[in-house]
Amino acid sequence: MALAFDEFGRPFIILKEQEQMTRLRGLDAQKANISAGKAVARILRTSLGPKGMDKMLQSPDGDVTITNDGATILEQMDVDNQIAKLMVELSRSQDYEIGDGTTGVVVMAGALLEQAEKLLERGIHPIRIAEGYEMASRIAFEHLENVAHKYEFDATNIEPLVQTCMTTLSSKIVNRCKRSLAEIAVKAVLAVADLERKDVNLDLIKVEGKVGGKLEDTELIYGIVVDKDMSHPQMPKQIEDAKIAILTCPFEPPKPKTKHKVDIDTVEKFQTLRQQEQKYFDDMVQQCKDVGATLVICQWGFDDEANHLLMHRNLPAVRWVGGVELELIAIATGGRIVPRFQELTPEKLGKAGLVREKAFGTTKDRMIYIEHCANSKAVTIFIRGGNKMILEETKRSLHDALCVARNLIRNNSIVYGGGSAEISCSIAVEAAADKYPGVEQYAIRAFADALDAIPMALAENSGLQPIETLSAVKAQQIKENNHYCGIDCNDIGTNDMREQDVFETLIGKQQQIMLATQVVKMILKIDDVISSSDY
Amino acid sequence: MSSMLQPQIILLKEGTDTSQGKPQLVSNINACMAVADVVRTTLGPRGMDKLIHDEKGNTTISNDGATIMKLLDIVHPAAKILVDIAKSQDSEVGDGTTTVVLFAGEFLKEAKPFIEDGVHPQNLIRSYRTASQLAIEKIKELAVSIAGKSLEEKKSLLGKCAATTLSSKLIGGEKEFFASMVVDAVIAIGTDDRLNMIGIKKVPGGNMRDSFLVNGVAFKKTFSYAGFEQQPKKFVNPKILLLNIELELKSEKENAEIRLSDPLQYQSIVDAEWNIIYDKLDKCYFADRDIFCAGRVTEEDLQRVAAATGGTVQTSVNNVIDEVLGYCEVFEERQVGNERFNIFSGCPSGQTATIVLRGGADQFIEEAERSLHDAIMIVRRALKNSTVVAGGGAIDMEISRYLRQHARTIAGKSQLFINSYAKALEVIPRQLCDNAGFDATDVLNKLRQKHALPSGEGAPYGVDINTGGIADSFANFVWEPAVVKINAINAATEAACLVLSVDETVKNPKSESAQGEAAASAMGGRGRGGAGFRGRGRGMRRR
Repeated sequence: MALAFDEFGRPFIILKEQEQMTRLRGLDAQKANISAGKAVARILRTSLGPKGMDKMLQSPDGDVTITNDGATILEQMDVDNQIAKLMVELSRSQDYEIGDGTTGVVVMAGALLEQAEKLLERGIHPIRIAEGYEMASRIAFEHLENVAHKYEFDATNIEPLVQTCMTTLSSKIVNRCKRSLAEIAVKAVLAVADLERKDVNLDLIKVEGKVGGKLEDTELIYGIVVDKDMSHPQMPKQIEDAKIAILTCPFEPPKPKTKHKVDIDTVEKFQTLRQQEQKYFDDMVQQCKDVGATLVICQWGFDDEANHLLMHRNLPAVRWVGGVELELIAIATGGRIVPRFQELTPEKLGKAGLVREKAFGTTKDRMIYIEHCANSKAVTIFIRGGNKMILEETKRSLHDALCVARNLIRNNSIVYGGGSAEISCSIAVEAAADKYPGVEQYAIRAFADALDAIPMALAENSGLQPIETLSAVKAQQIKENNHYCGIDCNDIGTNDMREQDVFETLIGKQQQIMLATQVVKMILKIDDVISSSDY
Repeated sequence: MSSMLQPQIILLKEGTDTSQGKPQLVSNINACMAVADVVRTTLGPRGMDKLIHDEKGNTTISNDGATIMKLLDIVHPAAKILVDIAKSQDSEVGDGTTTVVLFAGEFLKEAKPFIEDGVHPQNLIRSYRTASQLAIEKIKELAVSIAGKSLEEKKSLLGKCAATTLSSKLIGGEKEFFASMVVDAVIAIGTDDRLNMIGIKKVPGGNMRDSFLVNGVAFKKTFSYAGFEQQPKKFVNPKILLLNIELELKSEKENAEIRLSDPLQYQSIVDAEWNIIYDKLDKCYFADRDIFCAGRVTEEDLQRVAAATGGTVQTSVNNVIDEVLGYCEVFEERQVGNERFNIFSGCPSGQTATIVLRGGADQFIEEAERSLHDAIMIVRRALKNSTVVAGGGAIDMEISRYLRQHARTIAGKSQLFINSYAKALEVIPRQLCDNAGFDATDVLNKLRQKHALPSGEGAPYGVDINTGGIADSFANFVWEPAVVKINAINAATEAACLVLSVDETVKNPKSESAQGEAAASAMGGRGRGGAGFRGRGRGMRRR
């Protein structure tokens, strides 16, 4: 902090605890910020693309996560630097908005910062660099729209959707069964989508996992899987054409919330109380029976007495089902959640074709499947996998795939992957740069160079010669005027991404460019960092 | 003999630090200048941002003068005055907070050599006051009124003002987009002083262009109970009932206790309780009955919904009549980023607006919100006072020229002082150039020449931030409301005079924090410090 001096040349304090403040300003601040941003990008760079590597992260309490998902890596890294935090947020917001491309956006921002550093060294004003980037990002944004394709699909022809989801999954550890996982994701999204409003509520897709089995056993269930078992071991394990009573009240004598007290002074009174209580249980079970329920699902627990009675009356029951699951069950079976026994009516029962309890392997784990539901607006993806880490990573990968499918339902435009879109944008931006007078021209050209970073990283991660490969592809794009040439990561033998069927969503790509530009602009605009020395 | 050992007369408590006279006045000025230097670089469209950590680890990235001053946590008593004027400018007009600090710093800087030369501060104060009055009159004279224009014209004019404010902020790249959004929002709420009717909701994710304006109310999906997902998600022409009681089973007030002597009556109590809630439900809604409900809406949002839909907030479910229900055209639950939003649009009274802001990072959105707040304030101000002046330093140069001219007609010391006041005003164009990396002296000379043209046609010329030359700000639509400038000059002059009028500081070290606050409020509260002002100029001699 700048010190002020009094008439005797002694410094005096203006700010609170001034001695402890550190201050970085001007070019130094920008350079420090840029190198922080670049460091984050460097970590993620190797995770990009189908041949990208995974990261292993250990949390303070010893949990290990192995992942390839940019947002997850950054989230778990627990960075401390403020600028690095901005990069984390950048990837998080890509995750919120699009769900996929979280690595790409950080790599892109890192490349932009790297280019900006060179320009700063030449003495270009940071804001002019930021403005140039902004112009360039708009050019790229529009160019993407030009090279994008509309992809027609409907409920019967889901192939295009599956292809796009496969591109997303190919970079993950689960790529060995990407086809089946992609199909599961697409079917799940289509089941819950409101195609008219183009709205997909991903809350209605439940992703459940269980360690054991193989990844190939992962399945989509048009219904709900609940990690619970029947309340009594002797209850039937399979119910066909079940009528389900969904209760949010316990199988217990009701308790008024007002404080109450029952005075019992004689043996008779005690007897009546006992009978009363028993009668409650009896009535409850009877009420369920009366409306024709063949299965009771309850949010709360039941007394042993009730359990016994239910067993006795041959009414299977499930207890302690969570609120969210209860809701999904209600949606899936078309039933109503009933808060009180007196409210039960036959119309409020949910219907399911098959309810069964399934045991897994040699363990005693059991789960309840509710299938063939009246209304399949709620679905479950049930993942199996060798160990917990694979399971978790599969969940994250599926989440990405689900988001991609959702984005395509919202906007069915796609661009081609494999870095082809970036290369094409880079060419377009480079060409447009010459039309801008002023210093911004340099920034726009730098932006074009930064766009090359993604295909470059792709090539590098795939073990190809980055510069040679990139320049070859770029030349091919210009020569053939073909926007669909990308990096051949899987060594298939063609650079044409149309033949390789590598797609990404248009909005995802556009979002990447816009978000990266935005954050870089914010970082460039800071010329003064004031902090307490603790940081 | 005792006269030989004259006892020292102790007036003040031990440890009290007093300093007085000219040197301490100079050091107060130094402190203020140091503070002004901090915000200096944030001025103008090429201004930079500051990143500030506090001890708690919170980080703010901002370009807004008032925000930065607030976060700096200044303890120097004289420098605190600058924080106060930045705050008051913020609450009074909402924008120009950097300008006001810069002005005050510059006035003091110009005064410093005079003080050192032995000029009495009161002389300076008097001249500064006269100069500020003259300057304000001149601004009023130069201001162009936009009153009486049609709504369309007004909208575009207000948009220009908002765009000028926004151009210096992080969201400057999209200034037209946001300016029109702000103008629409402000016009929607009408002329009443109800700023809280414009809600700003922040949703991380997406890019700036995904931000949108809802002509009604929007809020994040709130708490929901089981069964929520089964409710319909879209209504056309819904009737809305607003309640601020809970629809829950509730134990009767306080510690009511029921004593039962007959166990058979048990059921009757349970029934009684349930009946209460059924009564409530029958009168309104529940998931089971195909009615949408949103629970735990914040008070602020509830008020806004009430204003938008014309409904009245009810505290009881008894006696709900048609008149208290609100209406709107469409109600919808929509996905925004990772959140689901409840949106009421097409409201009949149209007295509310909600801006949903999107952006890449939390800090980004925070800063965008502050910028929009500035823009909203500016548009509201412009709507009320409806006079604008040319920005880009043009108005400052013109006043400066006018004051110089005026000074020549005055005999005596005052001439010098008013001249230096005029010079201080040039700080705005100079800083604009410095921040943009242009040669300030060069540009300033061009501007002076232009403004000195006898025909007066050069008056609207200001700094051209794109080329490094000069341009007609008025024609380029770099406009700001006159009231911003008037208030800035007023506040800065007052602050400068206040600092100049202090000639003694008494610091009591023991109850430092309590006194510090008291002194700060006294400084802020008084506005103009008379001769009797006993400030605590300096005295933080810790070393």
